[in-house]
Amino acid sequence: MIEVSNVSKQVVTSEGTLDILDGINLSVEAGETLAIIGSSGSGKSTLLGILAGLDLPTSGTVCIDGQDITAMDEEGRAGVRAGHVGFVFQSFHLLPGLTALENVALPLELQGIDDALQTAKHYLERVGLGQRVSHYPRQLSGGEQQRVALARAFACRPTLLFADEPTGNLDTGTGKKINDLLFELNKEEGTTLILVTHEKTLAARCKRTLELQAGRQLAEPTGITA
Amino acid sequence: MLALKMLLRSWRGRQLGLIFSSLVLAVAVVTSVALLAERVELALVKESSSFLAADLVVSSSVAIESGWLERAAEEGVRTARTASFASMTYFGDEMHLASLKAVESSYPLRGALKRSSVPFAIDDADIESVGSGPQPGELWVDSRLLPLLNVELGDAIDVGDGSFKVTQILIEEPDSGSSFSAFGARILMNWQDLPASGVIQPGSRVSYRLLIAANEGQADNFDTYVDWLKQQLDVHDRIITPDEAQASIASTMDKGRRFLLLAGSIGVVLAGIALALASHHFANGQLLQVALFKGWGISANAVRRLYIQQIILLGIAGSAVGLLVGWGFHQLLITTVREWLPIALPAAGLKPWITGFATGILCLIGFTLPALWHLPTQSPLAVLRRDIQSKSLNSLVRGSLGVLTVAVLLFWYSRNLYLSMAILFGFAITAAASIAVGLVLLRLGKTYGHWMGSIWRLALSNLWRRKKPSLIQMVGFSGAIALLMIMVVVRTSLIDEWRWQLADDAPNHFLVNVAAYELDGVKSLVNERELETAGWYSMVRGRITHLNNQLPSQVAKDGHESLRRELNLSWTSDLPEGNMIVKGQWWQANTAPASGLAPVSLEDELAGELGLSLGDTVRFSVGGLSFDAEVTSTRSLNWESMTPNFYFLFPEGYLEDYPRTHMTSLYIPGEEKLLVNDLLRKYPTVQVIELDKIIDRIRTIVSQVTRGLEMMTLMILGCGILVMFAAVSLSMSERLQESAILRTLGSSRGLILGVQWVEFTTLGMMAGLLAALGAEFAVAMLQRFMFSLPFSWHSWLWIAGPLGGGLLVGLLGVVYSRKAVTQPPLQVLNSL
Repeated sequence: MIEVSNVSKQVVTSEGTLDILDGINLSVEAGETLAIIGSSGSGKSTLLGILAGLDLPTSGTVCIDGQDITAMDEEGRAGVRAGHVGFVFQSFHLLPGLTALENVALPLELQGIDDALQTAKHYLERVGLGQRVSHYPRQLSGGEQQRVALARAFACRPTLLFADEPTGNLDTGTGKKINDLLFELNKEEGTTLILVTHEKTLAARCKRTLELQAGRQLAEPTGITA
Repeated sequence: MLALKMLLRSWRGRQLGLIFSSLVLAVAVVTSVALLAERVELALVKESSSFLAADLVVSSSVAIESGWLERAAEEGVRTARTASFASMTYFGDEMHLASLKAVESSYPLRGALKRSSVPFAIDDADIESVGSGPQPGELWVDSRLLPLLNVELGDAIDVGDGSFKVTQILIEEPDSGSSFSAFGARILMNWQDLPASGVIQPGSRVSYRLLIAANEGQADNFDTYVDWLKQQLDVHDRIITPDEAQASIASTMDKGRRFLLLAGSIGVVLAGIALALASHHFANGQLLQVALFKGWGISANAVRRLYIQQIILLGIAGSAVGLLVGWGFHQLLITTVREWLPIALPAAGLKPWITGFATGILCLIGFTLPALWHLPTQSPLAVLRRDIQSKSLNSLVRGSLGVLTVAVLLFWYSRNLYLSMAILFGFAITAAASIAVGLVLLRLGKTYGHWMGSIWRLALSNLWRRKKPSLIQMVGFSGAIALLMIMVVVRTSLIDEWRWQLADDAPNHFLVNVAAYELDGVKSLVNERELETAGWYSMVRGRITHLNNQLPSQVAKDGHESLRRELNLSWTSDLPEGNMIVKGQWWQANTAPASGLAPVSLEDELAGELGLSLGDTVRFSVGGLSFDAEVTSTRSLNWESMTPNFYFLFPEGYLEDYPRTHMTSLYIPGEEKLLVNDLLRKYPTVQVIELDKIIDRIRTIVSQVTRGLEMMTLMILGCGILVMFAAVSLSMSERLQESAILRTLGSSRGLILGVQWVEFTTLGMMAGLLAALGAEFAVAMLQRFMFSLPFSWHSWLWIAGPLGGGLLVGLLGVVYSRKAVTQPPLQVLNSL
């Protein structure tokens, strides 16, 4: 599914070149769950961005389904994302002017799917918000907003889901519920899940873990390769 | 359609309110002004046509060619011929050199003749308006002819070889004008009687006119005919347009129309600024959405397409609503000014609607599109990292695009280079000064703010920290204030000028041709009624016989009336009021040209037409005696003032010995109007030119136009406030966020509102000061080139600008940020 070889990322700052990622090698099979862990500033989110094709490495390659996305231009990578990728973000990123239903339906509508609203409604019901479809984000609690975000991510039926600290903005109880939902949906949909977290308990629910420290992977990803 | 869906959702989310209302306002302002301007223009042409009795007149010293009439008949253009000449009239032993005009039955083509069966009729009930002149065999005559010839209505008088019956008193011809050349009593006769009377012989001095007018709905044929006719004209012929026929009204209306254009243009620029600011704000709100789209794999092209579709839809909707609002506003304006439009306003064509709609689309292309241009290049990585921002279009490029749009709109709309340049430069100066001076002022504020209290320190350092949005806001505020100032100043000086020109006691009658032996009698008649004259002028009738010692050629004589007829020569030691020296110098005491000739001052345009410049000589023949004069100055005259104007003026001491007559102008109130009758009965050779009706008409027009201008001013003020709102809302979410945090940390309501008040008031005061600079410049340009008003310095701008700007912007800012102290901080933060 994803093949990462020798990915490095450097940025030039006023104090010289800074290595954010250094020689990352990784292979994730379809349907696998992978947690990227590490302390703040270890390069987790940068790696996630590169894996999702949102950012480019300074060197190395990333292949999704055999296609080298690092050799593509932005339009090419957008094309790959359009067919495969879904996202869940720490700060939810719901559009404030749209209702819960419209937020979920928006990516479907952009893909030109006819029954976008029905599909969106189905997924909102699935995350337990069937009664809140016409509420705006500001009328929902943090946990509810993240559930809308989960519905939005899964409604597109992605083969690959990236989650960036999905419970980082939530309290422990709510966070646990969201995690349960995330893994349930992931199982139902058979999605490949790559998530970034600093929570050991969440990481433990993934089949494999990749730990980063100052941009380097501490060891080969642990856990079982499917 | 997804774009429509997104647009509706943005509308519902109140993100489009400001863009939409700016767009609607731009289109509405343009549409209402364009509709009004076109309809009033059409009506005016009709109205002024009545002063000419036609849409256009060809005046000629030779008989009108029959080919012109035939061609007119082919094109379906209406015509009427007139011939004016002086001829001796007889009744019994009495005789009088009268001014006759023979008219065809189709005369007048526009306007109406006024006649009466009561001599010296004043009462409207005695006066009848009719659409055609006397029948063959009949004459309509001036009241004063009756005592002059001792005749009564129904008597037959002799003109040339014919004898004609006097059937009506001629009260008013639509095209009588206000020229002093007609000294004999006026007589109107039928064109068919000309041959029988035999008054026109080869060599007779006759002024022929061909009156032409379009048939209803056949303006194209008329234009074609006029184009053709213009090519047929030679030196004998001259075209007279309606504007020339009634200079005072045309000039008032023209200035009114120009002001309307100015106000409309300012409205468009203001709405443009509001649109640009609102679009900038809207674009910032779209960044996350676009980053998400890109993250979901939507290509940059698809994003661009989506936004362009939305802009087009918004443009169509906004323009459509704007057209409706504009139509409503123009109806409102028309209701206000209906009284001065004695005739029904013709329906406007398609042009104003097209102008309005195109303005909407152009505004979006010039102001909104550039603001959204960078959206598709937004990096999808922004969904993970807040610090990633796509680079918006270079502000220089955006600024230039905005300025270009404004320039295109202004010029396309006003078709007036001076107006466009004045507004553009005025605005550019204000904007440039806002950025340059604004930066310095902000820096100074930050540096010296720490000497003041905590509110000031915090507010001034905030302004410096947010210097980019602060400067953008300052450009918006100062631009809006400057444009409003320009409008108010021009409006005020226009209205003042009109009021001055048409003071309640402005002279409304001219007494002309008062013989020396009648002068004392006329003066005492006037004094008995305690009326004041504008001073008595002496006039000598003379002819030009030589220019620079040469006889004028026949071609020159045919080409210019002044070389054919007698002229009024007058003298004065002081330059008359309203006259301005164009070339040369007004005479000083006891100075004469070195040539020893009499110095003469000519009206500037006439000098040009006769090919005379300073130092040239003119020989005049007065009562058979000749003398030479040297041109020592040329003058411009103020034709709008109701005081006597002279083409030829001499110093005292040169003309006094020639036979002279006297003239004056005076104000005769309505209740003293009978004076005119007494005067004419007693002194039948005196000519009274009555301007009271025309002055009343101008006065009504001015007061109605003024009211129209006031309404327009209010509408533009609305535009200005909208710009202010757009500018204030620009930084509001950041401000609210900061205020909420300060509130969370326990800051008092007073501190938070105080900081906002100081920030906005400071911005407003700086903007007001800079606006005064730009406005002063633009007003100077407009007054000089567009409204022909004298330049004046407006010290109040420099005081009212900062004070008004500070107060208005400060209030708006505080009202806007009130939420920060009235709602719990968490609620404020959540709503952002």
